[in-house]
Amino acid sequence: MLHATDRLTKTSRWVVRAARITNGVFLAAVLLGLLLSWIVPVQFAALLIQQPAKVDVRSACAGLRWLLVLGAAMAIAAEVLLAALAEMVASAAAGDPFVAVNARNLQTIGWALLALQVLDIPGALIAKFFPSLGSAAPDVTFSPAGWIAVLMVFVLSRVFATGSAMKDDLEGTV
Amino acid sequence: MPISIRLDELLERRRMSLTELSGAVDITLANLSILKTGKARAIRFSTLEAICKALGCQPGDILVFADGQGD
Repeated sequence: MLHATDRLTKTSRWVVRAARITNGVFLAAVLLGLLLSWIVPVQFAALLIQQPAKVDVRSACAGLRWLLVLGAAMAIAAEVLLAALAEMVASAAAGDPFVAVNARNLQTIGWALLALQVLDIPGALIAKFFPSLGSAAPDVTFSPAGWIAVLMVFVLSRVFATGSAMKDDLEGTV
Repeated sequence: MPISIRLDELLERRRMSLTELSGAVDITLANLSILKTGKARAIRFSTLEAICKALGCQPGDILVFADGQGD
């Protein structure tokens, strides 16, 4: 049982680390794309849209810029989430997960998840106002599971806060 | 805290060390030390019972309420 838990925390550590690296690379690529879209707009448009263009190139480029901004915002929210998760996994690996800081970490995860859910709205707006993006437009569908997950994480954060306070009390008990 | 622990006096009267008490009541020396120095936040009935049994005393001999002392 203990070995299974050790394996789980070890695997989780690697998964979270890999996810953070991937997310970091994604964020860097998105920021680079955003930067290039301003520095070399003509080449940027030519790179993305084949000539002769059947779509409104200016609108597509503007839509793409918003899409990149959205991507950057999502990557930042994901990094906040993963950083908190990494801290929680590390404390679980150290054998002491019921600490007040993990209640705050769960709360941070809750806010990051909420941000990711809310970012669906600008995603849907981009798809609506920039039809020239075509298949590149984000396919936003309402997912109740995501909102329930947000709620669940906030509730778990309260449970953790109470649990860690109880553990503190127990530690002073002889 | 207005509640103080009189473990030191009881041990002295019985010429017993904290280590010996630790062995007799099966509570770690570290935990007994926390209790003795008044750093404990709570005491279990089972701990109190074991100490009373080992020292032949009443809970009131170990715990003393002195209002107006400390915080």
